[in-house]
Amino acid sequence: MITQVSSSLYQQIVANFEEGLMVGAQVPSLDTVRKDAFERFKRTGFPTTKMEDWKYTNLQPLLNESYMLEDTLPERNVGLEDAVISGLDAYRIVLVNGEYRADLSDVIAEHGVQVLPFLEAVNNPIFQKHFAQYADKTDNPLVALNTASNKGGVFISLSDGTVLSKAIQLVHIMASSETLFSQSRNLMVLSKNTKAQLVESFITSDGSAKSLSNNVSEIVVEENAQLYHYYIQVAGEQSNFLNHIEVHQKKHSLYNNYNCSFPGASFVRNNINVRLDDSAVESHLYGIVLGARKQFVDNHTIVDHSMPHCESYEWYKNIMQDEATAVFNGKIFVQLDAQKTNAFQQNNNMLIGDKAVVYSKPQLEIFADDVKCSHGCTIGQFDDDALFYLRARAIGEQQARTLLVHAFAYDVTEKFDNSAVRDYVDRLIERGLNIA
Amino acid sequence: MLSIKNLHASIDGKEILKGLSLDVKAGEVHAIMGPNGSGKSTLASVLAGREDYEVTEGEVTLDGVNLLEMAPEDRAREGVFLAFQYPIEIPGVSNINFLKTAVNEIRAYKGLPPMEAKEFLQRVKEKQKLVEFDAKLANRSLNEGFSGGEKKRNEIFQLAMLEPKLSILDETDSGLDIDALRIVANGVNTLRSQNNAFVVITHYQRLLDYIVPDYVHVLYKGKIVRSGTKELALELEEKGYDWLKQSVDAAENATI
Amino acid sequence: MRKGMVLVGSNGVKKPRLKQGRGMSANNDEILKELAVEEYKYGFTTDIEMDIAKVGLSEETVRFISAKKGEPEWLLEWRLKAFRHFQKMQLPQWQNFKHPDVDFQSISYYAAPKAKPQVDSLEDVDPELLETFAKLGIPLNEQKVLAGVVAVDAVFDSVSVKTTFREKLKEQGVIFCSFGEAVKEHPELVKQYLGTVVPQTDNIYAALNAAVFSDGSFVYIPKGVHCPMELSTYFRINAQNTGQFERTLIVADEGAYVSYLEGCTAPMRDENQLHAAVVELIAMENAEIKYSTVQNWYPGDKDGKGGIYNFVTKRGICKGNNSKISWTQVETGSSITWKYPSVILKGDNSVGEFYSVALTRNHQIADTGTKMFHIGKNTRSKIISKGISAGVSQNSYRGMVQIGKGADKARNFTQCDSLLIGDRCGAHTFPYIEAKNKSAMLEHEATTSKIGEDQIFYLNQRGIDPEKAVGLIVNGYAKEVLNQLPMEFAVEAQKLLSISLEGSVG
Repeated sequence: MITQVSSSLYQQIVANFEEGLMVGAQVPSLDTVRKDAFERFKRTGFPTTKMEDWKYTNLQPLLNESYMLEDTLPERNVGLEDAVISGLDAYRIVLVNGEYRADLSDVIAEHGVQVLPFLEAVNNPIFQKHFAQYADKTDNPLVALNTASNKGGVFISLSDGTVLSKAIQLVHIMASSETLFSQSRNLMVLSKNTKAQLVESFITSDGSAKSLSNNVSEIVVEENAQLYHYYIQVAGEQSNFLNHIEVHQKKHSLYNNYNCSFPGASFVRNNINVRLDDSAVESHLYGIVLGARKQFVDNHTIVDHSMPHCESYEWYKNIMQDEATAVFNGKIFVQLDAQKTNAFQQNNNMLIGDKAVVYSKPQLEIFADDVKCSHGCTIGQFDDDALFYLRARAIGEQQARTLLVHAFAYDVTEKFDNSAVRDYVDRLIERGLNIA
Repeated sequence: MLSIKNLHASIDGKEILKGLSLDVKAGEVHAIMGPNGSGKSTLASVLAGREDYEVTEGEVTLDGVNLLEMAPEDRAREGVFLAFQYPIEIPGVSNINFLKTAVNEIRAYKGLPPMEAKEFLQRVKEKQKLVEFDAKLANRSLNEGFSGGEKKRNEIFQLAMLEPKLSILDETDSGLDIDALRIVANGVNTLRSQNNAFVVITHYQRLLDYIVPDYVHVLYKGKIVRSGTKELALELEEKGYDWLKQSVDAAENATI
Repeated sequence: MRKGMVLVGSNGVKKPRLKQGRGMSANNDEILKELAVEEYKYGFTTDIEMDIAKVGLSEETVRFISAKKGEPEWLLEWRLKAFRHFQKMQLPQWQNFKHPDVDFQSISYYAAPKAKPQVDSLEDVDPELLETFAKLGIPLNEQKVLAGVVAVDAVFDSVSVKTTFREKLKEQGVIFCSFGEAVKEHPELVKQYLGTVVPQTDNIYAALNAAVFSDGSFVYIPKGVHCPMELSTYFRINAQNTGQFERTLIVADEGAYVSYLEGCTAPMRDENQLHAAVVELIAMENAEIKYSTVQNWYPGDKDGKGGIYNFVTKRGICKGNNSKISWTQVETGSSITWKYPSVILKGDNSVGEFYSVALTRNHQIADTGTKMFHIGKNTRSKIISKGISAGVSQNSYRGMVQIGKGADKARNFTQCDSLLIGDRCGAHTFPYIEAKNKSAMLEHEATTSKIGEDQIFYLNQRGIDPEKAVGLIVNGYAKEVLNQLPMEFAVEAQKLLSISLEGSVG
């Protein structure tokens, strides 16, 4: 196994790839795609703060660490308690350090569902049709890196008309004895008239070493399909994440993303891109970030309207405590022919910590005229009058503040379709508040 | 029950209350009247513990307990209830959830266990009737999108639920039409007992037709300048405040 | 031309009008194509003898300009420093348009009327020049200005030709003169403030301007003086193959107040001309500066040929406590506009404002907005931006609001709205919001919508033709900003908005 120590992750990765060591299992059918992607990554390198999309997000301190590029103990035992969502009826699929673990994962016996580890999926025609067709079209060098050298992850596909009776919970666990760089690559394809709930949980095993994960998920929502996608970040301080989700939607489809980050992971960057590539598509992006200590949480979203009669709705709430930093960058594109588009975007920030920082860039790029688009951003604090009102009704200050944070988050939490997840998130909000 | 002695309070360095004294016994209703800017609402805010105000002198006790050192929530738990002149809207906090929290906080303070859900709902139902408060409103966010009358009725509904010792109604009549006023007043009258007391702050005599006070005080320039029975309110209604102001100002000038 | 009534427009130019009762939506595109594009009415050239520097840019050019202006050594050094920096700089990449290839070597950096540029009385001004300004509607003739509410500095191809009402201003200690004169007569003031808000290394065009600026306006309002009249500068590019690089420096000393207006026009020419100006505003304690711009440089023809590249750096600093800087701009001209009038809110309780209307049509591009840097405590800023896009133009708002660590209780309100007229244009919004202080309160709102067809129909039904209806609606939409302009400018700006839209709608 490779445990090379190098001065920078970039050099390490390039050297390993060029020596043919990086692609864990050689998959001939992916050779060309991987080499192309590698060249792209090699040319650009890791993003720097000179790139507009990384203006506030400095990867350098993370990249200067020495990482193991492969897990030395892939069969280790891990605890899944942190991922338990009480009241949630779900099939569980577990990725440890980005790799699918059959021994920890449920078998989904329902008709019309297929779940395969990434490396077994490469010969599946649906996989082949969609793999690296979407995320790689963006200019994110991290996607290129993932495409070039990932070896873990899972492929989930629902055949026409499948409506899952339970949610699928995809648990990402970081568990490593040494500083680790891991990459998972996931592809989910919902064929026509399907409906599913995907709950992704990010956790860290007790005592795990520092890690950096570069994850990419591509999601295809075909005609009239519906996906409710919950994304819950509750990993530990030692874990750092670079996540990219690329969603491709077809006619009459619905995609709802609920992206929640809680105190823990030191560094989180999520790219969530939704391409409304057909008419009559509906997309919702909701987000809650409750930051604490020196956390850095960055959500970059793109909602790309390229066809007429589509609707998108985005609402992100950041609650920042201590010295935590939040970045929100929401781009809405309405392309030339996307007439009759409705696009709404809102970002609200609550600054609680004395050294908390918020960077927000709500952005509209509109090339069609018959549209209704709006965005808004606010930054503020606890409303003193509301606080007093609650206290005058015998509610203690701490509880009053908790209530007000819940109220602040409510615009987003009320949109959660799954009540078990909603209750879970409400509890996480309460737990994550260190209001004294 | 309530004892205020020589209370001085200021905001942003400006003194508003300048030596106010008042005694309220259990079972009594006191009306505090006075022209705009006389310090009526300041008194309400100071009693409830709004932090913008600084008490520079004097004391306030409720059944012997010093209120001034207490946080607003502890005063509420001791039994002080302020019906706000402008009840705040808090989107996202459900009325009912808020009320349940408040009820149980007060019970916990008294060493009682949380109220059973069934009992709580039973009481909600019962008290809602008192102020003809629409059940639908109880399930909405706190005061969000409520009309002026609905907000005021919600205040009295909360009063009924929390059963305070001392209720301070801060211009509860403002912005109410005659029907709403009657509903609110009926609620208050039903809640009057030998164990509680009310301080009704109002600019107009109108409310006092419905909530009949035992005593009426006139506040002017931060002090109570005249006290009497409900007839005083009628006199004020008839003559306005000017005659009182003049006599006070004249007395002031005389001392200078 | 379609069959229809031909009327004489307000500016005396014949232009086609639509037949009444024509449907709005169905024929929009058709009408859009058919309607002739309103001619730019300031597109004439003035035949006047000019002193023009030879084309090209080098250290020699910088020295030539400095020598022509008879500048002191320190200013030449300052220019050279800027030039050396300029040579090392790259064209920016972040803007929302493809940056045109500007060939800095094909431009002449100095053009001045041959007649003595500084004149003592109106008789000394070249009559041709007077006529030019008369055509532009600029009151150079002092007697004709009612009650003397406006003092004018007229800048013709980068050189100030005439500043009016100087004597009257002098009585109050107000200095209002060309930049060149200021260098000669008030060197200590110029030296003290020049480049303190926009350093000569700020950006490539600011560096270029610092190296080659030929003139501009200088204003100093002494302590406690409320400037008795509006100060105004009119800029006119006339000569061919020239760039215009003027520089404005306004200092309002403690407790002073000044309202300053600038207007600009240029002839119609097929090639693009570069305008790279720098404006610096300095407001000391309790001072207030109000800066208004009506920008109507030649926008190019309907196919996007020609027009001014308007790459301008404008920045003010609220240096003292309780000071205020307010920018108002009505941008209708230029083929590309690229500017962000900004305010550094350094003094406690200082206030920054930005009101903007940017109208683009045909192939015009505007990338404009503001930056508000909150540094002092209790600083407040307000941003109102109204974008209107028609034709195949692209209109972007780009703004930054930064609340620094020490800016306790800073407040910002931003509203940027975009109005789209026609389905081939673009409206974009790029706000950067950065808060590093937990007491910051900030609100940003933006909407994008199409011009209301039902509104147009309503006005049509009341007998108002579509073009006028759009003019009315757009003026209403821009009202909040237009209201910020001094009276006579507001009227002019309203007309300008209506005129600029003619031919853009059906």
